[in-house]
Parts: sequence; structure tokens; C-alpha cells
Amino acid sequence: MRRTMRGASADLAIVGGGPAGLAAAIEAAGSGLSVALIDERATLGGQIFKQPGPGFRVTDPRAVGRDFVRGRALIEGAERSGADVLLRTAVVAIRGTSLVLVEDGREASALEARHVILAPGAHDRPVVFSGWTLPGVVTAGGAQTLVKTQHVLPGEQIVFAGSGPVALAFPAQLRNLGANVRVVLEAGPPPGPKDVLRLVRAAHGNEALLRDAAAYRLSLLRRRVHIRHRRIVVRAEGDGRIEEVVHAAADRDWCPLPGTEERIAADCLCLGYGFFPSVELLRLAGCDFTYDEDLGGPVAVRDEWLRTTVPGVSAAGDGTGITGSYVAIDEGKLAALGALVALEAITPETASARADAVRRRLATKEAFRRALVPLHPVGRGIYELATPETIVCRCEGRTLGELDAALSTTGDPNLVKSLTRVGMGLCQGRSCQRQIAAMLARRHGVGIGDVPVSTPRPPIRPVPLGAVADASVEDLRFFTPD
Amino acid sequence: MDVQLTSLAPTGGWLPASATAGALPAETDVLVVGGGLAGAAIAYYLAREGVEVVLVERGELNREASGTNAGSFHFQIALHQLTAMETGNIRGKLLTEVRLHVEAAEVWAELERELDGPLDIHTTGGLMVAETEEELQLLQDKRELEREAGLEVEVLTGRELRDFAPYLADRVLGATYCPEEGHANPALATPLFALRAAQAGATIRTHVEVTGIAADQDAGARRFAVPTSSGTITAHRLVNAGGAWASEIARHVGLDLPIRGDGLHINVTEPREHVLKPMVQHIGRRLTLKQASNGTFILGGGWPARPEARPHRYSTIWQSMAGNAAVAVDVVPFLADVRVVRTWSGVMAFTPDLAPMVGESARVPGYHSLMATTGFTLSPLMARQLAESMTGARTSFPPDYDVDRFANATTTT
Repeated sequence: MRRTMRGASADLAIVGGGPAGLAAAIEAAGSGLSVALIDERATLGGQIFKQPGPGFRVTDPRAVGRDFVRGRALIEGAERSGADVLLRTAVVAIRGTSLVLVEDGREASALEARHVILAPGAHDRPVVFSGWTLPGVVTAGGAQTLVKTQHVLPGEQIVFAGSGPVALAFPAQLRNLGANVRVVLEAGPPPGPKDVLRLVRAAHGNEALLRDAAAYRLSLLRRRVHIRHRRIVVRAEGDGRIEEVVHAAADRDWCPLPGTEERIAADCLCLGYGFFPSVELLRLAGCDFTYDEDLGGPVAVRDEWLRTTVPGVSAAGDGTGITGSYVAIDEGKLAALGALVALEAITPETASARADAVRRRLATKEAFRRALVPLHPVGRGIYELATPETIVCRCEGRTLGELDAALSTTGDPNLVKSLTRVGMGLCQGRSCQRQIAAMLARRHGVGIGDVPVSTPRPPIRPVPLGAVADASVEDLRFFTPD
Repeated sequence: MDVQLTSLAPTGGWLPASATAGALPAETDVLVVGGGLAGAAIAYYLAREGVEVVLVERGELNREASGTNAGSFHFQIALHQLTAMETGNIRGKLLTEVRLHVEAAEVWAELERELDGPLDIHTTGGLMVAETEEELQLLQDKRELEREAGLEVEVLTGRELRDFAPYLADRVLGATYCPEEGHANPALATPLFALRAAQAGATIRTHVEVTGIAADQDAGARRFAVPTSSGTITAHRLVNAGGAWASEIARHVGLDLPIRGDGLHINVTEPREHVLKPMVQHIGRRLTLKQASNGTFILGGGWPARPEARPHRYSTIWQSMAGNAAVAVDVVPFLADVRVVRTWSGVMAFTPDLAPMVGESARVPGYHSLMATTGFTLSPLMARQLAESMTGARTSFPPDYDVDRFANATTTT
């Protein structure tokens, strides 16, 4: 990376220090190109390989778990790769292959890259139901961050509600750390004989995933954590913080069945209904998208080298569809190889040869994912839990009742935003956007993927005006007569 | 017409979708093209007087300049007006403009009562700051002119300024203060005008795009035949309220109007405790700054956004954020640690001399232009004046605003 007064340049900029970004940096090592690896957190690893916070020291990595060991190896590989690692640095804007970076507490600066790999990862699916804003209601990712970085449990009586692999892995991890997980509410059905058969057929090459799943299930059984299938959270109740969780039997669409409600005391409700790709940078870059609810929603269109529809911009990992860390690592490699070809650091033939094994593994993982999909399709009921009094946009404090008229007036979320201010707050719609889209889709009889998206705008993360300010941009000669 | 108010505070009132989706009438007295603030307002003022009026909008109401500006009332003479009027009869033009601002202030002051609904109007007062001696002199001169036109403005310096606005940086040497300035919510104004227009009898149709205009001056009462995406409507009179796209409409009747659109950039911060009551502008640099009623700071003042082809919104650019933030932090230093959470862009319509273009064309009788530059501040007033002229209650507009004033410089057919 070459630095100048208020900017820098690099041949390859990799945004995101999770599995995909780390693997990309390692793959690009030795190519002779200057590489910048950028992450907004204080340590590399992303969410899955999140490292303990300052003041913690790991004496026995294997005791922490297999994921931790996998993560350490990747992180150390990236650190040795020769890439410039920029931590505590958010990418807040992108145009073409030019990025605007803001390091915590510093001024914004430009990074002119020749090629960019976006590996932004994913965030938890927010679920809107009565009481979801009560203290003590946390997302799986939030709980995981507490545990991984600070060794703090999110509560003493934990109810876990969710679906899919997350609803197996997280409760098991929490339980292994000594947490009291009272019950796991899985919205989907238990695997039947047909499901098992399908998984077994796709098992070849996915033994690690199956072994992980079996270990989690065994761990929950052994520690007597009850998994209840086809149960969904209906509301959280409590005076000032959560005291009870109300849940109900769910039909195939995850809609609660009347008369099946039960209550359970809890001081923590942990939600793991899957993830959303963090597509903000990809949207701002102008990438084209398709929509697949099973992959988490919007999916960036990419070619065989994971190049998006925007020249010079590739994308890898969960930010392009939720497929997990094993796939993310291989996608990171593939995207890096594609970038090296684009930057003429290696020949297409070399890249194809190096990509061969990677592509085979990706095909195997994709087969397994497809085998899993019928088991955990996201039910539309997840978007229909709110009552008129439920806050939908917590930044602006708008309830479903207050949005009702606007939702009926238009199918355009930009107009709903303009009429009601939903999505205008600190989170920039990350929490409520999908919920709004689902409600619009239902009312106007279209698919969620067909609802237009809000116009992407910088900054991707909130930035202090003092960090944004650049006195060298004095007047852009606008507003002047011809 | 029986149209119910959909909703009031805190989100204002607007027409339900069903009220704007019906068939397009085959004929009308007045056809208004454009569903922004100007179009909705004139539909209201005409309908209120019993005039038959149909408004067509190709998208949704209020989605362009009218709904995407920052909602400020600019009554003081601004930097762009000074730069635009360096040549020619600057004094006369500015006097005309300020007198118009005084009238606009009166219209806005009455508007919530007139429309019987919330517009989130806050008469906060407005400061215009100077950082150099030259700028301070400019403020003094400007104040004399504004007073002559009837706008109450005072100059604050030294101790007086610090006591009044302790948040201003030491580098600010002085400021003019206009107590009548303030802001309203641009998301509320057009929808409420449209709702009241419909209740007064106007027909409002969204997603109707004008594809041509056949003007036949011999056809008598219905001289404009206007094909649209929803069928043809004939009209006796036409009001072009197309804003940044007004020249496209004008071209259909053979008028080549030099109106252009440009993207404007706005920054919005996280909400903070209320400290900044007046709007703050700058006489020499690009800045308008205010704290909205929800506590967020809204920054703009003439920074560009990058034009994109419809239907894409103009994209906001980092340089505008950076330059705008630099001026804001220079003037109000505590803003340095307040975080920008979002940006937006809106389009603005310009004439070559930055003056409004309003009234009937002498070249195409029956064709009316309704384009107020500084559109949010002036559109309600301009719409009311044009409605008065179309109902015979008013005779003329200042020659500086004449629709045909650029005719010599441009071709006509």
C-alpha cells in the first residue's frame, strides 16, 4: 500500500477480515501485488473466528474449540501474507474501486485500489414481535460476541428461539460454556427419514459439517437441553426487561397456531432465525442482485471468478448469500485468484489450475446446502408476528399501527420512509428494512424480492462530521449560473 | 369528492392510493403537469376557487425536489443570488426577490391554518454568518436592501453575537439575523396540499406520464390535447409544474425553455440535545445548517450530487460530504463529534438567471409556467399567485420572471 497526504493506493483492497477476506489475503500472498486487508473490528477473524478482547490471553487454543484453532491458523496466515492489515477501519463509501476509509478516531481517507474484493459477512436477522426491544432479548450474534470476546454469558435463564444450523450450534456452544439454556425453540420440523437420506447422499466431502452437527446435538442431549420443534416465539413480556417468553406451535409457514401458547420464565431470549448478507457496500457499489430467501435474501450476481457486475469489484463469503465459513474460505480464494488474473499477476491458466480443488469443494458444499434447504425454509410467519402496538423501526420509534396507512398507500419503501421516517435512524434500516419489505410484499401481493430497495447512500457506517470534513474541498462550483 | 384524511400527526396527512389511481378524465379546464409542491399547491388554490383541475404525475407525489430538499425557508438574500446577479440591474432584481420572500413568509405563516393540518413549521429565525471583513461588509449592504424591501434583519457582532449564538466559532466575525426564517417538513407539505386539493374537487392521478401535447389555438375551449400513458386528456389551460423536467413538457408545445436540473447533496446526523435554534447560513461559503425538531442536524447549502438517468436517484458523492462538513465544523465547532448517519440527494431546477419563471406565455396562450427557484420557500406563494392570475384576481408578474424572457436567446417554433 502506498500512502500519500490524505489517501493511499493498493493493487488489491480486501474489505472484511472474516474467513473470506483472510483466505483471499493468503491466496494473494507472493503475487507481488500490494494488498490492503481492512476490517472495522479491533481483531481479525470476523464473527465466526472472533478473537477475545483486550486483556484476554488464550493459553490452550484447543480447549476453546475447533473453530478457534481454524480461525487462528487463518489469521496468522493473513498476517504473514504481506498484506497491510488495517484494523478499526470502516469502509464508509465506495465508487468504482475507490474506497473511503475511516479509522476509529481518525480523519477519513481515500484508498484508490485497482481491484476490490468485498467480503462484508452477514448480520443477524432481526425479528419483530411484541417485546423484541426489551432488554434481555439478544440476537445469536450479539450473544456470541459477548461470549467470544468477553467470556460473559448473556443471561442466567436463557431461552433460545430460532431455526436451522444456528439453532443447533449456538445453544450447544452456550451450554458448553456453562450457560443455563432452558429450551431451544426450533421453528422447523425435526429431520425425517427422507431428510436424513438426502443429507447422507450429500455427505461425501461434508463430513466436517456433519460431525459438527452431530457433536452439537449430542452435547445438547447429554446436557439435557430440550429442543422443541415447530415452536416459534410469539412475544416477550416483562417490566422493564424480559421476564417471560411466550411461544406457540407453528405451522409449515411458521405462523403461530391459536390455542397452543405456552410461557416460560427467562431473563434472556436469544434469537437465531438465520442471517442477512450485509450488502450495504455491494449496493452502494452498484452491483446487480437476485433474491433467494434461503440464502438470506439479496444475492449479488457474480461470474465464475466471483466478479460482480461492477468492473473491478469481486465479492465473497456470507455477504453474497449465507453459506457458512467453509464456503467463505473457498470463495475468498477463488475471488483472489480472479483478482490476480484481472491484475495480470498470474495467467488465467495458473489461476484455473489453482482453482480446481477449490471449485470441487464448493460444488460439494453447495450440494449439501441444497440438501439442507427443504429442512429449514424460512416461513413467512416470521414477518407477521408484530401487533399494531409493536415497534417496527426502533431508531425512529414507529409502531406497526403508525405505519399502517403508509404501507397501504404505496408499494415503494422509499415512499414509506419519506412518509413515516422508518429506516432514517442510526441503523440505516438494517433492522427494519426486510420487515418493511415483507409487509409491503404481503399487502400488495408481490414477492419480497420484487419490492424495490431503498436508495443506497454513504456513509455505510455513522461517521463524525469532524472525521468527514475536508477543507481542501472548498467549493464544487455548483449552484452558479451558466 | 369524498376523500378521507388518512392519517394525521405525527406523520401528516396524505391521499390514499385509491384516490389517485382512478381513470383519467377525458377533459378539464386546467391540466397541471407535475405532482410536486408547486403542482399540488396550484391544484389546491384553483380547486378552492371552483376551477376544474386535473393534476397528473408520472411517479408518486412529492418524490423529487419538493420532497427531497431540506425544508428551509430562505428569506435572506443568499450567496447564489449575489453571485448570479453580479451583472445587470442587481439592486432592482434583489429588491423584487426580497419582496417576494416577505410575501412567502406570510403565506407559510398561515399555511397550517389554511390547510388545517401539521406541516411541522418552526419559525426559528435564521443567521447568515461572515468569516471575513469583506463578507461582513456584504452582510451590512445586504441588510440595507432587505430592510428597504420590508424584511426585518439585524446585524450581530462581537459580544452581542456570542451571547445570542454561543455555539458559533470565534472565526465568525458577524452575522445577520432574520427572525422570520425557519423550516417546515418537506415530507408533509405536498401530500397535505394534494389531499386538500382533492377534497376541494381536484382530480389527482399518479403514474400518469405526459407523452406529448398537441396545441391547437383555434380549437376554442379545449385547445390542448394531451396524450398520456393513461389515455388522452384535453384541456383549456395548461400549467407546467414539471420542475427540473419542465423543459421536456415545454418542448411538447414548441417552447424551448432553458431550465435544467442539478443534484443537491444533504447530510443528516444522529439526533442530539437541542442547542441550535436558528438556521445557520453562510454569506461566502456553501452552508445551510439546522437542527430539526427530532434533534438531528441537517446540512446542505449547495453541494452537488451526481446526476443519474431516471428512475435512479442522483447519487451522493463523498466530496460533497467532506466539503459541506468542513464548512459546518468551521462555523459550529461542536459538530465535529456529531456523526453523519445518512446522506440524500434531491434534484433542483434552475433557470440561467436563477429567477423564477411564472405566468402565461405570450407565445403559447393558455400555457402557464410554474417554476419557483428556491422552490420549497416560494412554491406555495407562486402557486397562489398564478392561481389568482388564472382566475382573474391578479394581472401580472414581475418582468424578471417572464416565461418568454429567454425567447430571443433560444429558438422557438
